[in-house]
Amino acid sequence: MRRLALLAVLLVLGGTASAAEKPRRIVSLNLCSDQIVLALVDRQRIAALSHLAADPLVSAVAAEARAIRTTRGEAEDVLALDPDLVIAGVVTTRATRELLRRLGRRAVVIPFADDLAAVRRAIATVAAAVGEVARGEALIAELDRRLGAAAPAPGERRPTAAIYGIGGAVELPGTLADALLRHAGLDNVVARLRPGASGAVSLEELVARPPDVLVLSGAAEAYRTVVADNLRHPALRAIMTRLTHVVVPQRLLLCGTHHVAAAVERLAAARRRLNARGAP
Amino acid sequence: MSNAAPAQRTPSAGLLFAMLGLGTLLAFAVALLIGPTAISPRAVLAALFSDERDVTALIVREIRLPRALLGLLVGAALGASGAALQGYLRNPLAEPGLVGVSAGGALGAVLAIHTGVAAAFALALPLAGLAGAALAVLIVVTLGGARSGPLSLILAGVAVSSVAGALTALVLNLSRNPFAAVEMVFWTMGSLADRSLVHVALAGPIILLGLGLLMLIGRPLEALTLGEDVARNLGVDMGRLRWLVIAGTALSVGAATSVAGTIGFVGLVVPHLLRPRVGHRPRLLLPASLLGGAILVLVADSILRLITPGGEIRLGVATALLGAPFFVWLVLETRRELTP
Repeated sequence: MRRLALLAVLLVLGGTASAAEKPRRIVSLNLCSDQIVLALVDRQRIAALSHLAADPLVSAVAAEARAIRTTRGEAEDVLALDPDLVIAGVVTTRATRELLRRLGRRAVVIPFADDLAAVRRAIATVAAAVGEVARGEALIAELDRRLGAAAPAPGERRPTAAIYGIGGAVELPGTLADALLRHAGLDNVVARLRPGASGAVSLEELVARPPDVLVLSGAAEAYRTVVADNLRHPALRAIMTRLTHVVVPQRLLLCGTHHVAAAVERLAAARRRLNARGAP
Repeated sequence: MSNAAPAQRTPSAGLLFAMLGLGTLLAFAVALLIGPTAISPRAVLAALFSDERDVTALIVREIRLPRALLGLLVGAALGASGAALQGYLRNPLAEPGLVGVSAGGALGAVLAIHTGVAAAFALALPLAGLAGAALAVLIVVTLGGARSGPLSLILAGVAVSSVAGALTALVLNLSRNPFAAVEMVFWTMGSLADRSLVHVALAGPIILLGLGLLMLIGRPLEALTLGEDVARNLGVDMGRLRWLVIAGTALSVGAATSVAGTIGFVGLVVPHLLRPRVGHRPRLLLPASLLGGAILVLVADSILRLITPGGEIRLGVATALLGAPFFVWLVLETRRELTP
């Protein structure tokens, strides 16, 4: 099944990935493709990653990326790197991508992942583009192994959960983070917290109707912004003393890459802790 | 009513203040009573005065109470500062938001947060807001003082607002902060959502100090309505008056902005609505605007909390939507007066 998906990607790419013509000056312009490229390709073949790759708040590979050149993705910048493969996201740097294509550079779009199947597709797409299909398959197999180990046993109680972030933002059903919650055996209950059009809930709702497991997106102290004041709020601190809560850093939830396994493992650990204590 | 002679209005001033005081109390009570979760008034009252640490007590004491207290303080700061600036500059368009005092306060607060000073010692946040607001009001009062007419005041205000806004955006962009855009919205269109007692403790005392200074300038402003020369003759110390206006506005608006962002037009609308009711007397207008500002902010925030519990419509947006048309109308009025 997965091999078929890979094969399809290969066919789409026109069989460009034979060992002889593996791209040697790869530029990634997308935070998510950055992380997959780093896992699949030797350093010396990476010409540049996106500037976000080195930001520890959003990137799961910030430490490694710091040793590599980064770019903000302006066309001129990218051309100066003389890439033989550019990997970009669906939305950002679209203009750069189109321009590079017109100039005859090979540009591949990494699909946006909002569920686990799409995560596998994203890894396969990048693997095919960089000519590392076998490494891509191994990466997907390792992801599936870790996801399988984290999944709940049949009949295990599914606690409720909500991912509460900066500015009261919650992860709504249909997002990648929601898919990770479900895979970890937790039911996303943000709907009952009545999030508004912007996808934020009021702290009062959260305090009044807390889920079994509160998922926070990281140490509030790391965010030097007034927008994160809700994570420093005394009322939130008070309910955290009674609730099972787990910190899943935002960098593990933002991108559909193999790093989601670490997020699912943390969520599953919280589920096991709660279920080991027995139903509330 | 509004055509009555000033002499007949004086007795009604007591009634007006009774109504404003009662209105403030009511608005404060409503802010405590309503929220996305239904809690009965009796339970709210019990939660306020009990030592319980249950969910209701948590919601009332840690979420609703700070929001209501900040609404009261921020509204009072904006209302009183608007009245003070309008009286001192003898300009109907003077208002903390329009003349850049709020923008200066926001810049100070952003600098404190993103340099890490605010995390190092807590009072740095309101003090930085105060410093930014003080600088802005100093520039505006110097450039657009009473002698230079309404136009130069507004121009000075636009200049100060633009520079402060641009610098705020610059600091946020340079801070490598993924939330820069969201945060910019907070500083230009403020909000009381998810504020805590920590914010009240930080800003409250400074706001109160500023309000205290502003309450001292009623009589000098009253003399000033007759012109600067007459005021001097009546013993008004113009230098002292100027410093009281600057310090009072900077303290109250700077501290308010540092915890709630810019909440515009309250200082414009409230004094204008109340001025005819107090017989155009600054001495009465200052405390009346203080109470009126508190009522306006508390009521606006309570309505917003009811219709958008997720905080989609921000308080600063709501007051701007209410106040901006009023501002246009005032500009038209001012133009009519200037071109007979």
